[in-house]
Amino acid sequence: MSFLAPLAFALSLLAVPIILLYMLRLRRREVQVSSTLLWRQLLQDREANAPWQRLRRNLLLLLQLLILAALILALARPYAEVPTLASGRTALLLDASASMNATDVPPSRFEAARRFALELIETLGGDGEVAIIRVAENAEVLMNYTRDRAQLRAALERAAPSKGAPDWNAALTLAAAGAQGAEKFTILLLSDGGLPPDLDLTLYGEVRHVPFGAASQNVAISALATATDPVRGAQIYARLTNYGDQPVEVIFSLSLDGALHSAAPYRLAERGEVDITLADLPSDFRRVQAQLTRPSGSAIPDYLSLDDTAYAVYTPVRAERALLMSRANPFLERGFAALNVWQVYRGDPSRGLPAERYDLYIFDGWLPPVLPEGNLLIVNPPPEPPPANLYSIGALSTQTQVLRVRSDDPRTRYLRFNEVNVRAFRPIQAEWADVLVEAEGGALVLAGEFEGRRVAILPFNLLDSDLPLKIAYPILIANLTAWYQTPRALNLEGSARIGQTVVIQPPPQAETVRVIAPDGSATTFRPDQPLLIYAETAQAGIYSVEMYNGGALIQQEFFAVNLFSANESDIAPRAVQLGGADGALAEAPEEVGQREFWSLFALIGLAILAVEWFIYHRRLGVPRLRGGAVRRFGRAARRS
Amino acid sequence: MSERLFDEKTLRQLDQLSLIANRVRAGAMKGERRSVRRGTSLEFADYRNYARGDDLRRVDWNVFARLERPFIKLFEEEEDLAVHVLIDASASMDFPREGEGDAKHHKFRFAQRVGAALAYIALASGDNVAVTALYGAGLNVTWGAHRGRGRALALLEYIGALKPAGNLDLASALRDYALRYPRAGLCLFLSDLLTPSAWQDGIAALQGVGHEVAIIHLLAPEEIDPPLVGDLQLVDVESGATADVTVDAAMRDLYMRRLLAWRDETAAYCRKRGIHYATVETSTSWETLIMTELRRLGVIR
Repeated sequence: MSFLAPLAFALSLLAVPIILLYMLRLRRREVQVSSTLLWRQLLQDREANAPWQRLRRNLLLLLQLLILAALILALARPYAEVPTLASGRTALLLDASASMNATDVPPSRFEAARRFALELIETLGGDGEVAIIRVAENAEVLMNYTRDRAQLRAALERAAPSKGAPDWNAALTLAAAGAQGAEKFTILLLSDGGLPPDLDLTLYGEVRHVPFGAASQNVAISALATATDPVRGAQIYARLTNYGDQPVEVIFSLSLDGALHSAAPYRLAERGEVDITLADLPSDFRRVQAQLTRPSGSAIPDYLSLDDTAYAVYTPVRAERALLMSRANPFLERGFAALNVWQVYRGDPSRGLPAERYDLYIFDGWLPPVLPEGNLLIVNPPPEPPPANLYSIGALSTQTQVLRVRSDDPRTRYLRFNEVNVRAFRPIQAEWADVLVEAEGGALVLAGEFEGRRVAILPFNLLDSDLPLKIAYPILIANLTAWYQTPRALNLEGSARIGQTVVIQPPPQAETVRVIAPDGSATTFRPDQPLLIYAETAQAGIYSVEMYNGGALIQQEFFAVNLFSANESDIAPRAVQLGGADGALAEAPEEVGQREFWSLFALIGLAILAVEWFIYHRRLGVPRLRGGAVRRFGRAARRS
Repeated sequence: MSERLFDEKTLRQLDQLSLIANRVRAGAMKGERRSVRRGTSLEFADYRNYARGDDLRRVDWNVFARLERPFIKLFEEEEDLAVHVLIDASASMDFPREGEGDAKHHKFRFAQRVGAALAYIALASGDNVAVTALYGAGLNVTWGAHRGRGRALALLEYIGALKPAGNLDLASALRDYALRYPRAGLCLFLSDLLTPSAWQDGIAALQGVGHEVAIIHLLAPEEIDPPLVGDLQLVDVESGATADVTVDAAMRDLYMRRLLAWRDETAAYCRKRGIHYATVETSTSWETLIMTELRRLGVIR
C-alpha cells in the first residue's frame, strides 16, 4: 500500500485538539448529593465486576481518533499496484459503431467495452492521462486528456452506442493529435474490429487493440430500393445477407405505409445472399418498411437487430401533360416531346381550348379569350392585346441584336444566345416577368409568375429565327421544363446512410420547413438560403420533410435512412491492421497501474461514526424518571 | 422556628397515642407504666414471706389468720418510661436543598416533625423524654429529660430550632450518648444512616446500656431515584468527598439495586438484633407514618 497524497498525514495533528477538547470535556459537572456513600460502593462493585468499564470512559475518544485515522488514510489516497493496459498518455478509442450493439457479449459489446474502459480508468497510473474518443459516424472527443477519474467516469457513463458506421479516419486523426509532447503515448482501440483497410495514417506511439465480440451470427437486409417500371408499375428490390457461418431461415415481411403487405420465408446459405424483387404492388404507397424475423423455434441467434429493419420511400413518376395550340409548328412539338417529362397533346386553335386540364399550355401565334389555369408558354403572341392584361405588346422590331442574357438564373443556365438570329419580334412589356434575354429593341425571352401561373413568352415566330436549329433551343426548353415542373425538395438517390447529411431544396414560397425524424422529434428551419442541410440522421427510419407557407402545408416529401453497411453488419470480430502496428495487440506487455481504495477507508470512518453516535446516544439516553422504581422501593420496604 | 411543626388538630390526635416499650423496666419516678419494682399501686402482684423489718402494715392479715404465718402482700409499681429521641443532625440530612429537589422532601425537616411527634406522644403519656440532636461525640445537644405535658411547647420550640450541620461520625456520637444518658428506655433514632462509619457499633452501645432501639430510616425520593444524568462529579455535602460517575440508564439501574440491597442488609441486621426498623420515604406524609407505619411497627399504640 502506498499513498498518492502522503501530505494528508499532517492532518493527524488534528488528534491533538480532539484530545484536548476531550480532556476539557471530561471536567465533570459538579452535583451535590446527600452522600456519595452508595455511589462509591457502586463504582467499586462495577469496576470489580467489569474491568473494561474503565476503558469505556474513553471509548468515545478512542472512536473519534479512529474516525480521524480512517479519514486521514482516505485523504492520503492509498493505492495498490495492479497490472493494467495503459500508462502514460492514452487515447481511448471507444468504438460506438452499429456493430457494437451486437449482443453476443451480454449485455452488448458496447457495454462490455464501456466496462473495460471504466476498469481501466480505475487502475490508472499516477502519471496516466486519458482522453476518450467515441468513434461513431463522427468522431467525438468525450473527454480531453485528464487525470480526473470522476470526469472520465462521467464521460464514459454518458457515452451511448450509435447506429451508424464509424469514421475511423477522423477518430485516429483526433487520437494522433494527442501524441504531441507526450513521453509515452498509447492508442487503445476498444473495438470489434472492422477498421477499413485503406486507412492512410501515420500513427505515433503504440496502438493496442482490445477486441470485443465473439460470434458472427447475423442476418441483415443489406439493400432495399424502389423503382418504377413503365410496364409493371412500382417495384421493390431487397437483398438479404447472411453473415453467419450457418445456413439460416428468415421471414422477410414488407409493410407499405404501415400496413403489412407480404411476408415470406427465405433460406440463406452460410455467408450467402438472397435477392428479392417484388412487383404487382399498389401504386399509391409512399413508405416502405422491410423487416427480418426468425421463424419460431429457430435456434440460430441473430446478434445484431439494427440491420433487421430497412426503410425505403417510393416516389411514383408521372408524365406531365402539355397541350400545344399551334397551327403547325413541328419544332415546338418535337422540342417538348424529346423530353421524357412531357406527354404532348395537340389542339386546334380554331376549335378553342378543350375543357380538360393540362399542366402546360403552349400557345403559338394564338391566345384564348380567357387564360386557362395552368402554366403557359406563349410563342409569337398575336398583336391584339392579350386577355387579363397579361402584357402590353408593341410594333414589330428588327433591332434583334442580343444585348445580354440574364445571369445567375436557373432558367438561363448554360444558355448562349449570341449565335441565335431572329428576324423580327414584338417588344413586350410585363411587370411580373423577368427578362431572360434582352435585345436592342426589347425583351427576347421573358418569364415570370402571373396570378399563380408560370408564364414564359417568346415574342417572335420560331420560324422567323434559327433558334430551333441551335443548341440554345433544347437548353432553353429543358430549363423552362425544369422551371414549369414542381421542383422536388429532395434530390436523393435511394436512401441515405445513418449520419449522412441530406440536402433539402425547398420551394421559394416555403416559409417553414419541418423535418420529422422517425421518433417524432421535429427540426424546424426557416429557409433563408436556397439549400438546407439536415444532418441529424442518427436513426434509421423514414423522415418526413414538410414545407409550410403561412401555416398551410404546401409540400411533403419523405426520405429513408438505413444502416446498409456490410462492414457493420458483418459482426464477426476481426483483427485490426494499422499502418505500423498490427497483430495480436491484446497480449501487449502489462503495465503497472494504481488502484486507489480510499473509499474503503471513508466507509470505515463512516461506520465508526455510526457506532460512535449509537454509543453516545445510548449513554445519554435519559431513562424515564421511574415512579415505578420509587413505588417498588416503598413496597419492598413494607414487606420487610 | 420559622413555622410551627404541628397544628392543634394534630396535637389532639397525638394525645390519643402512647409509646410501647416491650420490656418492662424500672422507672425513676412514679409514672403510668408498669415497672419491674413492687410498689404502691392498687394492683396486686405477689406474696412473699415476711422478713424482719418489713412494714407490718403490708402483712396480709387475712392470710396470717388462716395460715398463722405472716406474708407480705406485694403490689405493682407504676413508674415512668425513659424515651430518647435521637435525631441525626449531620449535613447529609440537609437534603434535598433548594434547587436540588423537592423542598417538601427535606429529610431533616421530616425528622424534626416525626421526632417532635414522638416526643410529644411520650410527654403526653407522662414519660420522661429526652430529645437529642446528634452532632458528634461531645457535640450532641440534648433537651431534657423532662416530664409532663406542660413541657410540650418548650419541646416543640426546641426541636423546631434545630439545624443540621457538620460531618457526623454516627458510631461515636451514639456511643457518647449511651454513656452520658444511661437510663434504659425506649430509644427512637431518626437517621438516613448515610455515614461512612459503622453505625452498627453505636446501636450496639445503645443496646448495651439496655435501650430498646427503633430506627426510623429516612430517605428522600431524590436519593432513591436520583435525577442525575451524564458525566458528573458527585460531591458529598457532608464530607465533601467526591465521586466521578457517568450516570446512564445502566448506572441508574445498578444504583437502584445497590440501594435496595443496602436497605435489605440494614433490615436484616436490625431483625437479628431485635431492633425496630422502618424505611420511610420523606415524600410520605409524616402523619401517615405516625398513625399507620409506626403502629404497624409496634412502636405506637
